Amino acid sequence: MTALVRLEGVEVRYGRSLALTATELDFAQGSFTSLLGPTGCGKSTLLNAVAGFVPPSSGRVLMDGVPVTGPGPDRGVVFQHYALLPWFTGRGNVEFALKRFGLSRTERRARALEALAEVGLADAAEKHPAQLSGGMRQRVALARALAAQPRVLLMDEPFGALDAITRARMQRLLTRLWEHTRTTVVFVTHDVDEALALSQRVIVMAAGPGRVIADHRVGDGPKADLHHRIVTQLDTE
Amino acid sequence: MARTSPPGSPAGPPHDAVDDHRPRPPGPGPAHPPGTSAADRSETKAADAPGPWRPGVVKVLARAGAPLASACVVLALWWAAARAGVLGEGLVPTPWQTLRAAHAMWADGTMTADLRASLARAGQGFAAGAAAGTALGFLTGNQRRVAALVGPMMSFLRPIPAIALVPLVTAWFGIGEQAKHLLIAYAVFLAVWLYVHDGVARVPADYLRAARALGVPRRRRLTEVLLPAAAPSVVAALRYGAGLAFLALVAAELGGAQSGIAYRLQVDGQFLRTDHMFVGLIELGLLGLLADALISAVGHRLVHWSSGS
Repeated sequence: MTALVRLEGVEVRYGRSLALTATELDFAQGSFTSLLGPTGCGKSTLLNAVAGFVPPSSGRVLMDGVPVTGPGPDRGVVFQHYALLPWFTGRGNVEFALKRFGLSRTERRARALEALAEVGLADAAEKHPAQLSGGMRQRVALARALAAQPRVLLMDEPFGALDAITRARMQRLLTRLWEHTRTTVVFVTHDVDEALALSQRVIVMAAGPGRVIADHRVGDGPKADLHHRIVTQLDTE
Repeated sequence: MARTSPPGSPAGPPHDAVDDHRPRPPGPGPAHPPGTSAADRSETKAADAPGPWRPGVVKVLARAGAPLASACVVLALWWAAARAGVLGEGLVPTPWQTLRAAHAMWADGTMTADLRASLARAGQGFAAGAAAGTALGFLTGNQRRVAALVGPMMSFLRPIPAIALVPLVTAWFGIGEQAKHLLIAYAVFLAVWLYVHDGVARVPADYLRAARALGVPRRRRLTEVLLPAAAPSVVAALRYGAGLAFLALVAAELGGAQSGIAYRLQVDGQFLRTDHMFVGLIELGLLGLLADALISAVGHRLVHWSSGS
């Protein structure tokens, strides 16, 4: 498999503090990778560098071999706190992403409703974010991000603010969507179970300064052993 | 969505309370379902009147109750103070004398002429200052480098009130209308800029990041993200700015004018016509109140989503 996203010696500093030490990583086309680690390990920083929100202080991010200079629609982002626009309805938020395709009004509307149906929200299309639960908001955000047809989906602790049951439901939804679209996903979490449940590959990170300490492939076999190894790695750091 | 207005809001009865129910009956009697005859009507008592209008009326009365009570207390205190002659004979006019003075000023045309002159000044100065303040607020709120350049200058100007500029503006531009517009615009501009700048700077960074990650171009980021996100601050800015426009209006007219509410106040002051002066002060208060009610009513309509969150 070829690398869709490549990090070449990417280092990020905020002022004098080192948020992420020079990191080399490849993300294969169509893969689902979790970045796992405690607060301050640089996992969100790494994601923000790929998204183009944060410029690396040295090194570079390559998207299909082309250096990233800022945010772009080839890299969709799902935020922990949804970042839905409260003045638009659910459908309006998805159409916000669809406008760049220059569709007719009716076609844009149809595509937005389709995208919302895909995440199980056909009934809530005309509601404003304030009228939706956390899980529903994140579904809209997911529909919006996918509607822009990104090549890679960057998710920053997207289910961190949800209760356990909603969270499990959202994980199933995400797995189904990924199997369906095969969009490359980079998923940030601090939950070992979540990382193992969702991904093919788990990159373990540690804080002080932020860095990658392990890179695991998740097989089809029992996950208990891998779970134990990851917990041990996180503990010893 | 329930529209909320701040306590003591001068916006009058809320629309939903009126729209959702039948209009209030014209007389003291209750409203009647269509088809009831005149004879039925005279028999009906308020207590057993059916229909959904009664909670509506109660709601409207409850909303209007506090402002009405407050007006009554002020009137009673005013009347008592006038009667007691606390400041000396005839120095505090009674409400009735003030009303008569208002009628006289209305009848001889000075009130209309003054209102027209003052409103034109306040309106034009406000429009210019609010437009400039809003535009610059969006620029500095969104561009840190421009804010670093402009911010200190604004912080320097803000403690200088419009009234302190009257002599200088008069020296430069004389006592024409232009000078008055400039003074009012100056006061409004500084206040509106501060509120709008703050509102735009507080727009959640994730909104703009999300828009950029969705490939939304700069122009649409302004119109579909920044503008609506900062709209509540813009409404607050305009309400505050409208109040300042009347303050600056008074400063401008006292600095030299041939007409206007504050000019009339000054003339009446020279003749110790306290009843006329009360009329002028009440006019200023009512104009400010109306301007505020208008802006906040329009604001509530435009910023419909923020009441739900």
